[in-house]
Amino acid sequence: MTHDLDSNDDFGPDLELAEALAHFDPEHQDPSYWYRFRQWILENAAGELARRRLIHELTVGDVMTSWARTVVPVALLAAILAGLLLMRDQSVVPVRPVGIEELLVSGVEGQTIPSALAPSETSDPVAFASEVF
Amino acid sequence: MSLRATDHPDDSELVLRARKGEELALSMLIERYQKSAYALALSVTGRHEDAEDAAQESFLVALDQLDECRDPERFAGWFMTIVRNRSRNLIRRESLRQTSDVPQGTRSRIPTPDKIAETSELRETLQQAIAELPEIQQEVVLLHDLEGWKHREIAERLGIPSGTVRSHLHFARKALKQALAEIPDGSDLIRKVQ
Repeated sequence: MTHDLDSNDDFGPDLELAEALAHFDPEHQDPSYWYRFRQWILENAAGELARRRLIHELTVGDVMTSWARTVVPVALLAAILAGLLLMRDQSVVPVRPVGIEELLVSGVEGQTIPSALAPSETSDPVAFASEVF
Repeated sequence: MSLRATDHPDDSELVLRARKGEELALSMLIERYQKSAYALALSVTGRHEDAEDAAQESFLVALDQLDECRDPERFAGWFMTIVRNRSRNLIRRESLRQTSDVPQGTRSRIPTPDKIAETSELRETLQQAIAELPEIQQEVVLLHDLEGWKHREIAERLGIPSGTVRSHLHFARKALKQALAEIPDGSDLIRKVQ
């Protein structure tokens, strides 16, 4: 018998068979085999590992910051453009506010009632009406 | 807290860390299961090159699907299923299979001619004997006698009862030792090629 039951009721190693099967272990002929085996996997897994690290490290603040990086410059640019447009319109004559009375008589070339009438005519009410209207 | 190379975390912790992209955690998982993955792949494919491809690809697939490992404590069984499936898919894709006496891609020391012949004969005999075993017996005998897994570990990770593992191991060993006994000076051959 090349094996005995151990305390866990396991057959235990079969030394003769284990020695024969050891020839299937590539390390039997190349001591560095398993190191290179592992390195190949890690090199090809680098991208996926980096992706996972990025996702894990991303927080809510990072999301807001990333938005701010885009929104703030765009808003600033829009403000500058608006300011430039406003400044360009300074050449136009500004509109002067006018009252209702002035608005009503604007464009009327005739003299006003008191100045149109001669001093002698102001006492006659009929003359007043015929001269102006 | 960062993982150190001298730590000995369990599978669950390594899986959780690898999910976050920790390279050292993945490296530890690979080191822990590389040989058993290779042994299992070899039992299915029968060729070193195919076993190497299947085992390495399985680790990459496992990393991609790591979030789907519902119970990190049972990573080994989940991972071995991936290895088995990748191995079967690989042999299905191949139309021609060639046996090789010496694993390719290894920097082997140049053995003496006698040693080459003896090693080749031993490997061929064992390879043929293993190939004739049912797949489950191939897996059990390689995981137990090549990788050193216990019955309980094999049972848990392959999802079969411990008693079944013992039974498969018993019959597999019997068949392999019978094959070795048919080689002239078989026992001496094992001692000579070391």
